Amino acid sequence: MTAAGLAGLLAGLALLAGVAGPSPLASPQGGSMAIDVGRGALIAVAAKKKSGAAPPATAPPTEPVVPPAITPSPPVERFPERLEVDVSTHTVAVTSAFAGTEIVLFGTVANSRQESAELGYYDVIVVVDGAGAPSIVRRKTRLGGLWVNTEALRFDGLPLYSAVASSRPIDEIAEPRILAIHEIGFDRARMYPGKGVSGLTPPEVDAYKSAVIRLKERDRLYVRDPYGVAFTGRSLFRATVRLPANIPVGPLDARVFLFRDGQLLATTKSSVMLERQGLERLIFDFAYDHPVWYGMLAALIAATAGLAGSFVFRRTGR
Amino acid sequence: MTLYLPIAEMSVNLFVLIGLGAAVGILSGLFGVGGGFIITPLLIFLGIPPAVAVGTGSAQIVASSVSGAVAQYRRGNVDITMGLVLLAGGLVGTGVGVQVVRILRRLGQFDLVVSLSYVGFLGGIGLLMLLESGTAIRAARKGAKPLARRAHAHGWFDGLPFKMRFKRSKLYISAIPPLVIGAFVGFLAAILGIGGGFIIVPALIYLLRVPTSIVVGTSLFQLVFVTAATTVLHAATNQTVDLPLAFFLVIGGVIGAQIGAAAGSRLKAEQLRFWLAALVLAIGVRVALDLIATPAEVYSITPLVRGLE
Repeated sequence: MTAAGLAGLLAGLALLAGVAGPSPLASPQGGSMAIDVGRGALIAVAAKKKSGAAPPATAPPTEPVVPPAITPSPPVERFPERLEVDVSTHTVAVTSAFAGTEIVLFGTVANSRQESAELGYYDVIVVVDGAGAPSIVRRKTRLGGLWVNTEALRFDGLPLYSAVASSRPIDEIAEPRILAIHEIGFDRARMYPGKGVSGLTPPEVDAYKSAVIRLKERDRLYVRDPYGVAFTGRSLFRATVRLPANIPVGPLDARVFLFRDGQLLATTKSSVMLERQGLERLIFDFAYDHPVWYGMLAALIAATAGLAGSFVFRRTGR
Repeated sequence: MTLYLPIAEMSVNLFVLIGLGAAVGILSGLFGVGGGFIITPLLIFLGIPPAVAVGTGSAQIVASSVSGAVAQYRRGNVDITMGLVLLAGGLVGTGVGVQVVRILRRLGQFDLVVSLSYVGFLGGIGLLMLLESGTAIRAARKGAKPLARRAHAHGWFDGLPFKMRFKRSKLYISAIPPLVIGAFVGFLAAILGIGGGFIIVPALIYLLRVPTSIVVGTSLFQLVFVTAATTVLHAATNQTVDLPLAFFLVIGGVIGAQIGAAAGSRLKAEQLRFWLAALVLAIGVRVALDLIATPAEVYSITPLVRGLE
């Protein structure tokens, strides 16, 4: 093997190292990767000058040499994908007419390498979580013929609402380990057992967790939509998330994950605020700011209505 | 047409609410009970959080019992003196009961105590009334005269001091028995989240021998004040009174109470007692079955709201 041939091989390797995979220099931003590409190309050019016989750097700057779906080697990427998302409404007004609603989350994959919307080249998972609240989960057992609460487990944080929408079932998108790291899925959600956990074995704690999921799903507060994310273009996708009428009012935090072959490529966040407005807000604030007066008003309204009713009925004379 | 409830944080159908209020109002006017033992489970069934169901239910009972009490008062069926004595005892009992509720909730056994009390009292009282009224109805069918009221044969509490004249009830007895009954009912009312009409009605009939027609009005009269106090208490301590929910229940309840009161005046006293007994017993059996039958779900989630910890 000649020196020129060796140089050409090295140049090819440098090109690969500079462009493909997670280079230590590469930040998630496309800009620094572009610099890497440039450097690789420069080396290649230098090697070509030395040898004069090295094959030209054939890869066009925006297209991969070979579609990674076919190659057994790690996918060759020039520009890593980035996610940009926005929500249809950042503030959801909870008024007396509120009967649940839907929010639509739009996103684009910058530097998409997907040829068309139908290819399923990428996987997207959208997780929308409500605030966490401390809760006690109790379990009934049979005691002398009666079903009695005998065991309890306290959760310091239990998301009051959680929605997971994805382009296909999340178990098919990535391994449990990766989903767990990013807290994707109800069973890996932000459920933190607290006091009383010491007396329970891990399977028992898991039984409590799955009971929570079952109960919350029954109340439609934990929602999973395994096909709730759809690409509408080669880079544009949309996710529809249903907010039920019984959703606790408060901030919602949306996390979006872009996967390819089980690997997380990019992630981003957004948020939605549920806010009481109008009369709902007035009543709620009154109830919490002046509870005694509120109670008296409630009793007074009730008594007045009762009196008014009986007088109306007396006039009409039954 | 749905309405979003600001405290319960959910939306419900407006007509379901009004219908529910009306149904409970009819029972209230008919039997002199507040209807709390019916409305609370029904609201929970609609998906309203139990704490809000109890708190708001009490506001609804204020309205239906005011309406019912006024209707009964016009017919001369309220013994104000008796009502005030019952009320005095009732407020003391409620105060004690609220503390007991707090302890039981912390232990996580509140639901069990409620269920057991329901089974015990509803079952016991329902059965007693059913047997008694059944006998009375059969006697009436055979043409026998109803037993004459033994005006001066009260027996066990005859010797007690503080005798008072209860004009409408045609009684001259010690104030202590009604006070104790009031306190006991108030205590149970706080624990069970109800007005306690279904306990006070038979207690007045069978223990004090107050005429049935007077009992209904008097029970409603004291219910107004007990439930008004309970409403303020729930709102002040737990913020569990939902005004819009209460309002639409009340509208239905007011109409229902009038219908109930009118219907009640056309029914015979023993028939009234029979149907109340049947209703009370049915609910008691239902609660008992829930305790015994294997539940579909053995787990339950209790959010830790303020005041429970």
